[in-house]
Amino acid sequence: MAVTVKVVARPAGIRGHTYLVAVAEGMWVTFRHLMKNFPGNVLGLRKKTDIATLSYPEEKQAYPARNRGLHRLMKRENGDVRCVACMMCPTVCPAHCITIVPEEAPDNAVEKRPRIFEIDELRCVVCGLCVEACPCDAIRMDTKVHAPPTLRRADAILDMEALLARGEPSIATQGGTGPFWREKV
Amino acid sequence: MAADPRTAVETVTVIVDGKEHKFPKGMNLLEACLSVGVKIPFFCYHPGLSSPAVCRQCLVEIKGAPKPVPSCYTAVADKMEVTTNSPRVLEIRRQMLEFTLLNHPIDCPVCDKAGECSLQRHYFDWDGKLARNEGDKVRKAKVVDVGKHIVLDQERCILCTRCIRVCNEVAKSPDLTIANRGSHSVLTTAPGQRLDNPYSLNTVDVCPVGALTAKDFRFARRAWELCATPSVCPGCATGCSIEIHASRGKIHRLVPRENPLVNKFWMCDEGRFTYKAVTENRVRLPSIDGKRATLPAALAEAARLLGEDLAGAPQRVGVVFSFQATNEDTHVLLRLALDGLKIERVYAGGRALGGSDTILVSADKNPNTTGVVRTVPPPLRTLKELTRDLATGALTTVLVLGNEALPVAAATPVTVIVLASNKGPLVAAANVVLPIAMWAEVDGSFANKDGLVQRLHAAVPCPGEALPGWEVLARLGGKLGVEMAYASASEVFAEAAGRHGFLKDAVWGDSSRPVQLRFGESRG
Ligand code: SF4
Ligand code: SF4
Ligand code: SF4
Ligand code: SF4
Ligand code: FES
Repeated sequence: MAVTVKVVARPAGIRGHTYLVAVAEGMWVTFRHLMKNFPGNVLGLRKKTDIATLSYPEEKQAYPARNRGLHRLMKRENGDVRCVACMMCPTVCPAHCITIVPEEAPDNAVEKRPRIFEIDELRCVVCGLCVEACPCDAIRMDTKVHAPPTLRRADAILDMEALLARGEPSIATQGGTGPFWREKV
Repeated sequence: MAADPRTAVETVTVIVDGKEHKFPKGMNLLEACLSVGVKIPFFCYHPGLSSPAVCRQCLVEIKGAPKPVPSCYTAVADKMEVTTNSPRVLEIRRQMLEFTLLNHPIDCPVCDKAGECSLQRHYFDWDGKLARNEGDKVRKAKVVDVGKHIVLDQERCILCTRCIRVCNEVAKSPDLTIANRGSHSVLTTAPGQRLDNPYSLNTVDVCPVGALTAKDFRFARRAWELCATPSVCPGCATGCSIEIHASRGKIHRLVPRENPLVNKFWMCDEGRFTYKAVTENRVRLPSIDGKRATLPAALAEAARLLGEDLAGAPQRVGVVFSFQATNEDTHVLLRLALDGLKIERVYAGGRALGGSDTILVSADKNPNTTGVVRTVPPPLRTLKELTRDLATGALTTVLVLGNEALPVAAATPVTVIVLASNKGPLVAAANVVLPIAMWAEVDGSFANKDGLVQRLHAAVPCPGEALPGWEVLARLGGKLGVEMAYASASEVFAEAAGRHGFLKDAVWGDSSRPVQLRFGESRG
């Protein structure tokens, strides 16, 4: 694209040429805010929670309900992993950070389960698509935990044990309940 | 296979959804509609099997008929007026799907067929409605071990009887049947039978749903992760057309590809496992006297050994062709050993004879015997003669292509230079080993027992430092003063086609890149 230059005419008159008036006006706005906030914030006459700035990390912001934190794998009622290794999440994952190796489950009603389930949290872009794709409520990102810093890259890869450690039994019925999404559109 | 409309003598005019079409007389109406792009869902019909019209998914309206008729069971007739998209037909179609899904477990997350399942596809195309049944579904047996290679899930079966017809009509071994009545009907093995016939895995291919699954492929990959490449089965001289299904450089299954000239829609179970040799026990690196060497060093050593012995005692140098090598490898070996080096002792061999039947399997377990016999001028000595000549000392040096299973004692005083893909006694005894690619890794061609030349396409990369056989031979030729410059296998083929009569009419065809399976139309 060609660079286009637009010449703006200097404002006329002494006021426009010196900018001094505009500077003074700006200072006045700042001063006004100072006077407004001084008794409240500095003399401690206002509640802390009304102030926008937080003293992190002593104080922490409350996360919204749908915040996406570190992954976890949900459990069946008997404590087994809920995931059936359907490969929906590695298929949809834009960062290719989920590795699953399936195996035959001893229970015929379950049939399939992951032997290896790993998520590379360094590669994850925290998009939440894996949670969206899962037909079994097996993977969630509702922990509100940030991916912790690690010394080695390999430590950022969470295995099934680590993912299950945060898990709990899910009460979801497979296939879900409630209105059918197609009928809403 | 439907008759080709262009060669048919008599045609009839049929109006499909208001448009006039011409079809050969007697053509199946379902095939006819599909051939002009009119979509009709179907489960029980299979072009290679008889039509029992049991699933009722393909119903259409024909003017004058009192009720909708199954198109798979109707032949086209002159002036027939067919409607496939009226509200009534669409509603019947949807209701049939709802009926089929009534007791279906909807196991898709754990079902191996998901992604290539006809029921999934038809549901998305023609139904898309919520289930209305409120009671419990009828539960049936899951993970039933019905045969050596196959697992059955009775709940997922939609009772289309395709598998039963494959056993009865293709394998000629009636192993399967349907037991019980109504919604309690189940597919099961006939009393005292197991699904163990030599064509059993074709039932897995034709099963439109995930009721029959192959133990070998179970949970290996989801269908959409696979890429399909057309190829030819290397299991025997029949040369069934196949598709190689691979994912991330690894082959996971072989399935038959429709070819009316050879295998129609089928292949034998034994052939399906020929891919194991591609993934297991491979020679990946060149070696000299058992020690790892670079490819140029190994080639130079091979050339030195051959050159010395050819200068010393040329009548004691032999070359061994392989009935498993492609026409391209065979042609370049012919140019190198016979034209260039003037070797006179020429042998050829491959796997030993095995069992055969009247359906597909040939006794000759090599895919390209015809190609080798028609490429190399006689006399071709056998492997038996080779073993004898090696023992008597009539041979001091051999250049061997393939034939890794050849029993050669490691202590033989003979100089062995082998182009090998798999480990074996010959590789262990060889002085120089040059790794070469296998059939699934190269572009090439095989000639089957009827002389039909068929194309192979590279589906997976060569392991380690392996190269296609023709390329290794051409480079070896360069070191021995036999100049052969080929940029690709198609150039070798073009040269070979100009020289060998049986390749004259063969076409190399287009290159084929692996196609990702998305509801692959060929299965289910
Ligand atoms: S949040 Fe997104 S990037 Fe991270 S694992 Fe899930 S799908 Fe992949
Ligand atoms: S989508 Fe859910 S059930 Fe499927 S593999 Fe991922 S976590 Fe497991
Ligand atoms: S057969 Fe098809 S519809 Fe049924 S569970 Fe398997 S993939 Fe799903
Ligand atoms: S197992 Fe598959 S092919 Fe056989 S009847 Fe059932 S659905 Fe049809
Ligand atoms: S395909 Fe016609 S009735 Fe089943």
